[in-house]
Amino acid sequence: MGDVKTAGWFAPQNRKETIAGLLFVLPALIGFVTFVAGPMIATLVISLMKYDLFSAPTFVGLKNFQRMFVDPRLWKAFGNTATFAVFAVLGNVGLGVVLAVLLNRRMPKALQYIYRAAYFFPSLVGLIFVAVLWQFMFQRDIGIINYYLGKIGIGPVSWLSSPQVALISVIILDVWKNVGFAMLIAIAGLQSISTDYYDAARVDGARGWRTFWQITVPLLSPTILFLITMNTIGAFKVFESIVVLTNGGPGDATRSLVMYIYEQGFKSFNMGYASAISLLLLGVIVIITTIQFVLSKRWTFYE
Amino acid sequence: MSEIAKFAAGHDRMTKRHWLSAETRASIDRVQTILVYIILGAGAFLMVAPFLWMFTTSLRPTTEAFNLPPRWLPGFDATLESYQRLLSSGVPIGRFFMNSLTMSTAVTLGYVATTTIAGYAFARLRFPFKNALFVILLLSLMVPIQTTLVPLFLLMRGLGLVDSQWAIILPGLTGAFAPGMSGVFGIFMMRQFFLTLPKELFEAARVDGSNHFLTFWAVALPLARPQIAALSVIIFTMTWNDYFLPLIFLNSIDQMVLPVGIMSIREPVGNSSATSEVIAAVALSILPLLVVFLVAQRWIVDSFVRAGVKG
Repeated sequence: MGDVKTAGWFAPQNRKETIAGLLFVLPALIGFVTFVAGPMIATLVISLMKYDLFSAPTFVGLKNFQRMFVDPRLWKAFGNTATFAVFAVLGNVGLGVVLAVLLNRRMPKALQYIYRAAYFFPSLVGLIFVAVLWQFMFQRDIGIINYYLGKIGIGPVSWLSSPQVALISVIILDVWKNVGFAMLIAIAGLQSISTDYYDAARVDGARGWRTFWQITVPLLSPTILFLITMNTIGAFKVFESIVVLTNGGPGDATRSLVMYIYEQGFKSFNMGYASAISLLLLGVIVIITTIQFVLSKRWTFYE
Repeated sequence: MSEIAKFAAGHDRMTKRHWLSAETRASIDRVQTILVYIILGAGAFLMVAPFLWMFTTSLRPTTEAFNLPPRWLPGFDATLESYQRLLSSGVPIGRFFMNSLTMSTAVTLGYVATTTIAGYAFARLRFPFKNALFVILLLSLMVPIQTTLVPLFLLMRGLGLVDSQWAIILPGLTGAFAPGMSGVFGIFMMRQFFLTLPKELFEAARVDGSNHFLTFWAVALPLARPQIAALSVIIFTMTWNDYFLPLIFLNSIDQMVLPVGIMSIREPVGNSSATSEVIAAVALSILPLLVVFLVAQRWIVDSFVRAGVKG
C-alpha cells in the first residue's frame, strides 16, 4: 500500500490485490459506463441528429447548434437563468456569510441550536414541496404575503403574474430555501479560522465591521469562492421552483434553460436540439468550474 | 506613514473608545447582542413560517382554510378534514407515499453499498488505471443530469423501463447516480474517509493472512458506520425530494412518487375548498423529512458540512 510496485499487476505477490481492487470498483464502473459515460457520448452524437423519437434519426451536422444562435427563446431563457443566478448567488452567499458570522458569536447553546436548525431545515426539504406552499403564499388576493404587506400599506403585489416581479419571486424562494446551507458551510469555514487573528485585531482596537472586512472575509475567501461556485452551478439548473410558481410565465418571463431543454426534448420531441442545448449548459458549468479552479490557486488567502 | 505615526493613530483610536466608561461600553455591547438575537430570531421565524402556516392551514376546516387573516396556531376548531378528504378523494396518496418509500430505500441501499466498496478500493487497493479512472470520475461531476437525459431516456425505453421505478432505481443501484446526486459524491466521500484510517490497521490484518474482502468487511466497514449512516441519510432525502427524474420516467398514477403525485393533483389555486388537500399532501410528504431531521440533526449537519467543504 503506497509502496512502489516492482512486478506486474498479475505477478503472484500482486495478483490478489489487483483482482480485489478491480472487483471492488466493477459495479460502480459498470454503472458509470452505462448511465453516465455512455449517455454523455450519446448526447454528443444525438446533438448532431434530427430525432423525434418516432421516425429514424437523420444526421444534420451542426444545424442544431446553428439554430441555437438564432433562437430568441433560448437566449431569453439563458438571460433569465443568468439573471436568476446572479441574484440568487448574491442572496445565498451574502446572507449566508452574514448569518454565519452573527451565529458564530458567543450565545446560549440552546438558542444557537434552535437558530441553526431553523435556518437549515428548508435546505433539507424538496423544492417541489416548498414551492407548492410558496405558490399559495405568493397569491395576489388570498396570499398571506400580500396580506401582511397590505397591513403596512404596500401592494397588492402580483408576485407571480407580473413579468417584472415573477423572477424576483423565484429568487426569494431560492434564497429562503438555500441560505441555510450556505450558512452552514460558512460556519464550518469560520470555525477553522484561528482566534489569534481576532485577538490581535482586538488589541489593535479593531471591532465590528472592520474585523469582518479585514479578517473574516479574506480568511474565509476559500469558503466563499466554493459557495459562489456551488451556488452558481446550482442556479443554472433552476427548474422545479419555476415549474411550480410560474411555469415559465408570464410569457417567457421566467423560463429557464433547463425548462427549455425539457420542453424541447420531452414536449416538442426535438431530441437533437435538446441535446445541443444541454451541451450549452454543460459548457457553462465547465467554465464556472475552471474559473473556480484557477482563482482558488491565485486569489484566495490561505493560512 | 512612519511606524510612530501609525502607532499614534492606533493609540488615538483606542483612547477614543476608552472615552466611554466601562459600564457604557458594556451596555452598548449588551444592546448590540440583544439586537442581534432579535434580528436572528425574526429571520428564524421567517424560515419556519411557511411550515407553520402549512401545518395550521391543513388543520383548519376546509371551507375556510385560506381565509384571511392567516392563523399561526391551530384553534379549537382544528380538524383533520383536509386529510380525510385527501385520503377519500380517489387520489392514491398512500400509493405515492409507499412508492416514494420503496424507491428511496432501494436507491439508498444500492448507492451506499456500491460507492462504499468503490471508495474503499480507491483509497486502499492498487489496481491498473486507478488514478486515471479516479480523475475521469471527478471530471464527470461537472456533467449535469440534464446533459445525459435524452440518451438515458432512450436507454430506458430500449430496456422497457419507462414508467417503471426501475428506471430510477437501476442507476442508483449501480452507484452511477441517485436522483440529484452523482455517484462520484459517494465514492469520493467514502474514499476520503478510508484514507484517514491508519495504514497499520490494514497491514496487521494482512499479516494475519486475511484476504482483501475479509479486511474490508471485518476491519474497514465497522469503522465506517457513521459515514455510511450519514451518506444514507443524504441519499435518502435527495431521492425522496427529487422531481426531475420521476417527471421524465414515471407517468402513470400507479407508479408516481410524492413530488410528481402532488403536482398531478394540484388544482388551480384559488379554488380554496379543494386545495387545502394539497397542503395536507405536502404536510404528509414533509413529515418523514422532519422526523429524520429531528432524530439525526447533529449528524446530518456534520456530514453535509464535511461533504460540502471537502467535496
